[in-house]
Amino acid sequence: MNFLICLETGLREIVAHKFRSVLSMLGIVLGVSSLIATMALTAGIEKGTRAFMEQVGGLEFVKIQNKDVSDELFEFWNLSPGRTIVDAQAILASVPGIAHASPEMRLGARVANMTHGQRLAVVGVWPGNFHVNRHELAAGRFITPLDLDRATHVAVIGDEVARQFWPHLSKEEILGKVLTINQSPFEVVGIFIRYEREQDKRMRKILAEQAKKHAGSERRRWDPFRGKNLSVLIPLPTMFYEFKSGLFPNDSVESVRIEELALQVKDLSRFREILDQVRRTLTMTHRGVDDFELETREEWFDRMEQSISATRLSGGLIAVISLVVGAIGIANIMLASISERVREIGIRLAVGAKGRDIFFQILIESVSVAFLGGLVGIVAGTVLIQVLIVIAPSENPPLMTLNSMLISVVFSILAGILSGLYPALRASKLDPIEALRYE
Amino acid sequence: MALVKLQDVRKTYRLGDQEFHALKGVSLQIEEGDFLAIIGPSGSGKSTLMHLLGCLDVPSAGQMEICGYDLSRASSDTLAGVRNRELGFVFQAFNLLPKLDVVRNIELPLIYSGISRKERRARAIEVANAVGLGDRLANRPTQLSGGQCQRVAIGRALVNNPRILFADEPTGNLDSTTGEMILEMFRQLNRDGRTVVLVTHDPEVAAISKRVIEIRDGLICREYAP
Repeated sequence: MNFLICLETGLREIVAHKFRSVLSMLGIVLGVSSLIATMALTAGIEKGTRAFMEQVGGLEFVKIQNKDVSDELFEFWNLSPGRTIVDAQAILASVPGIAHASPEMRLGARVANMTHGQRLAVVGVWPGNFHVNRHELAAGRFITPLDLDRATHVAVIGDEVARQFWPHLSKEEILGKVLTINQSPFEVVGIFIRYEREQDKRMRKILAEQAKKHAGSERRRWDPFRGKNLSVLIPLPTMFYEFKSGLFPNDSVESVRIEELALQVKDLSRFREILDQVRRTLTMTHRGVDDFELETREEWFDRMEQSISATRLSGGLIAVISLVVGAIGIANIMLASISERVREIGIRLAVGAKGRDIFFQILIESVSVAFLGGLVGIVAGTVLIQVLIVIAPSENPPLMTLNSMLISVVFSILAGILSGLYPALRASKLDPIEALRYE
Repeated sequence: MALVKLQDVRKTYRLGDQEFHALKGVSLQIEEGDFLAIIGPSGSGKSTLMHLLGCLDVPSAGQMEICGYDLSRASSDTLAGVRNRELGFVFQAFNLLPKLDVVRNIELPLIYSGISRKERRARAIEVANAVGLGDRLANRPTQLSGGQCQRVAIGRALVNNPRILFADEPTGNLDSTTGEMILEMFRQLNRDGRTVVLVTHDPEVAAISKRVIEIRDGLICREYAP
């Protein structure tokens, strides 16, 4: 008896007992739909979190922070020049594993144009800032080495700044406009895209739709990219010469302390080694004074990864449990249907069916039930996801993957095989004489 | 050539610690083209003999050769193969599958001999016509009379062109007129050269055969030509 006939017999049996088949499918349907839904939810959370981690600079992002020196070294503390752009230059020159360095010089300043003015944090940066902080331009250009050499009066601004100062102009139109920073004029040469998390983007769309119905209901939410969207970046030397020099006549752009120093590591597989090299270089530039520390995102990201896998695990566990319950349901109903069909099996044996023919007939029947249940479950899961999107829109958008569908199909077939094995084995072991006599 | 050779065949059933000897040494030969009736009261071992001849079971002792196969110690798969290729069964209770129509019931043995769907269908329809059910192909057993059901069963038994046709009380569930028609079918089949083995408790039914053996207490007690 070949596979197709087994399949045909199995399907015939399923169609002949529609209600019973639907009942036995139900467990698998629920299991698969919850599997699909949880996998889509975790995939959504995972994607959102990864995108967020990427946008904040990824694992490659390393920050160099000031640190109080130990008591024994206290006397020598003022030997160290502290964090300066010399550190950045030295690291770039001597640690090939560092892709980019971004020293920052900050200034709280009044930023204004003809119509609008407000206090903002203005930051003097290097071109490397673009890569270290994973900026993306919507229009114009970023600060270039030439801007550093010539200490040009140019500024690259965030999306929010652009909106506040020129609410009616497009980003292209804003290029070339002038902002004053503490009365000193700067030409806007670049504007960043709007940085936001996936969930905020969705939220904004939803709110925009709702705003059509009842205006002014926008909620202020915590936004991790608020700082990035409010940036006003100018060349670092310009920042020094324009706003930070003149206080002490001996200051130079090399000797003045910077507020931030961040690096981007080129090769994560050599992370530790590269950090050690950075540490050695800094020890030299700081004349042996241990007044700095490297801050990485490993721990933070590890925690995020852990919570992702915890979510995945618990969701998967629930789904697997319901699949097991589904499989038991099928096994139960298959057993019942076999004792109902002892005589049929006897007849099949009498006309020459072998034990294995009966075995495969029953097995394929239960696999078909489970497979159909799996397909229905995928559809039900998709519907469930749509429902979840509507009732819980602030979450990360669930992400339906082809993988989750394949896994569901494989799992339901496995459940079908597992639940069919025992009933099929029992049926195939029936004695034809006994079975024919069975009433 | 003898299709069936039984040599001192015994069958013992174990019920707990008690042994029950259903057959106590039966020797029997059935030639090709024979029409044999096995009669005997219930509990005589008649059904056990029938199960052995029908390859549904193997003997506890003795030699059994059917259609050239030595089945004295055969596995259930071997028995199934012989049943499928060489034997046809007609039962008292018809034993049709209620969910399948006439054609599908008749083609059932062919499914297990791995014959293509198209050929199965063709042969099943041919046989259905031969047993006079050409106009009932799509009917289910519940829509047929007892006589028609038994003709479906005969069709199913004949579809794989078996060398021996077994019938176990084929008229037991039929009225006498219909029973007469069914018996006439067996006689006609035998005239066409088919070997037929008929099991019954009714001497009148047995009378249509060429040779009758009577079983009593697990032994052949009498053999005669009616």
